[in-house]
Amino acid sequence: MSEEAVRFEGVSKRFGETVAVRDLDLTVARGEFFSLLGPSGCGKTTTLRMVAGFEEPSSGRISLEGRPMAGVPPFKRNVNTVFQSYALFEHLDVRGNVAFGLKRRRVARPEIERRVAEALELVRLTGRERARPGELSGGQRQRVALARALVNQPAVLLLDEPLGALDLQLRRQMQVELKAIQREVGITFLYVTHDQEEALAMSDRIAVMDAGEVQQCGRPQEIYERPEKPFVAGFIGISNLLPGRTEDGGVRLATETLCPAAHDCAPGTEVQLSVRPEHVVLDRASGIPGTVAERIYVGTATQLIVELDGGARIVALTREDWEIGDRIAVSWRAEDARVLR
Amino acid sequence: MRALRAYTILFFTISFAPIAVVVVFSFNTQRSLQRFTGVSLEWYRQFFESESLRGSLFASLEIALATTIVATTLGTLLAFGLVRARARWTPGLNVLMLVPLVTPEIVAGVSALLLFTQVGLRLSLLTVVLAHITFSISYVTVVVRARLAALNQEVEQAAMDLGATRGQTLRLVVLPELWPAVLAAALLVFALSFDDFVLSFFTTGESPQPLPVRIWSAIRFGVTPTINAIGTLMLVVSVVSVALAVALPRLLGRRESGVGVLLAREAA
Repeated sequence: MSEEAVRFEGVSKRFGETVAVRDLDLTVARGEFFSLLGPSGCGKTTTLRMVAGFEEPSSGRISLEGRPMAGVPPFKRNVNTVFQSYALFEHLDVRGNVAFGLKRRRVARPEIERRVAEALELVRLTGRERARPGELSGGQRQRVALARALVNQPAVLLLDEPLGALDLQLRRQMQVELKAIQREVGITFLYVTHDQEEALAMSDRIAVMDAGEVQQCGRPQEIYERPEKPFVAGFIGISNLLPGRTEDGGVRLATETLCPAAHDCAPGTEVQLSVRPEHVVLDRASGIPGTVAERIYVGTATQLIVELDGGARIVALTREDWEIGDRIAVSWRAEDARVLR
Repeated sequence: MRALRAYTILFFTISFAPIAVVVVFSFNTQRSLQRFTGVSLEWYRQFFESESLRGSLFASLEIALATTIVATTLGTLLAFGLVRARARWTPGLNVLMLVPLVTPEIVAGVSALLLFTQVGLRLSLLTVVLAHITFSISYVTVVVRARLAALNQEVEQAAMDLGATRGQTLRLVVLPELWPAVLAAALLVFALSFDDFVLSFFTTGESPQPLPVRIWSAIRFGVTPTINAIGTLMLVVSVVSVALAVALPRLLGRRESGVGVLLAREAA
């Protein structure tokens, strides 16, 4: 058996004039928790639906465990989906919902019983076998949808914003549970979300998508600490993006300050300098001068918005006490600044 | 509050008083329609002993049954077409479909009569059924379409995702979600067809005549308590089918009935 669960090779999808997905090349390894992250309309759900078989790629090919999937209908693909709306069968009870896939595959009755019981135990719904979906809470419905898909032991589990409909607290809790379940069953998860925190918290790898294209693909730390494009830096966490021009060994900002930073661009290239708020060093003397314009207490630290004398604004995280109106100087270590073009 | 209650009572009194009179006097011992002298089933006996009246009852039941079966099937298929085809002409069709619901029945009756005579179809129970089907389809489509449109398409995709073929998806997921609406529509059509007079009057042949037409003919020679008995029986059939349309889906564990959908739509 091949070590890859899903492979996209030059996959594009067009709906009439609009291109939903453009030239997608990705490989998802077996057993991986892989997230497609991006704003709505970035093509992540379309990508998922092409794996499920609800859409056919306009060009390129998708393989599941090495087998090309072109023309294979959804019911013949060894994948299962957890839908955003859950899409439970309201006329069947919990057991009927979870057993649906196994019955279609003509699994023997005792085995169905055993696997349904296992799946319900996994999502902690034992005892609710006879309940109708209408009698369950949002979180429980979500678990039924998960059990209904997992029980078939698909090669890949496709999850389309499965936590989108839950409130914040429940969502946090389910993130932890979902990750634990994935680790326990070892099934490949292909997870679609627009929530960067969720993606960072759960994924082994993330592909950040925008306008139908993958902007960057990598482990959560890589994506967060070494964004390669302004879009990624801005979409994941908070980033200070300062426009400037490259010079030897640094970037000349619009404020005329030369910031040392590593880059391999030709001198004079227009770039953006990206600095995370937690890497901004605050001082009274050395650095780019500015004024504290706003302070927001966020619990673990205070977020300062500093208005630089050149006009740009910078967000910094600090544990020190600064007042609005204080004169301040900001700087950062050269290795904490990323040059993006 | 009190005014509202009084109004409600008044409303139901006015609505049901005439019907109550018919029902009560159908059990009278004497021919009188003014004085209630005692309870008997005499008029019901007379009704069931009259072969021609019995024939009319069965004719009406046959018409209603045939209409229900054909109209429910065609109307459901039409609903699928309207909801799923999403063609350029579906908005127009959606409006066109409502026309039979608002066409004055007398116009529909005259048109049907003209059509049948034009094509040389002999007037009989068959022509009545054909006429009934034409207006009933719209009722079925309105009820079923509403339910179908409310059905989450992801549910069907979920079924296919779990290994169900298109046929299995329809049988195991779509129809179970849809059948309360189909059943409600069928019972509604049965009730409408069973007591329809105008269309039946224009399109029926000589004998047997549908029951409402038969009553109308009989009344020209004076109202007899037998008419009251027939009226009561018809009322029972209609009320039972509508009650079933509302209650069955609930009794069988569904929250909403298709008729509720129809009522809500008509109100909106």
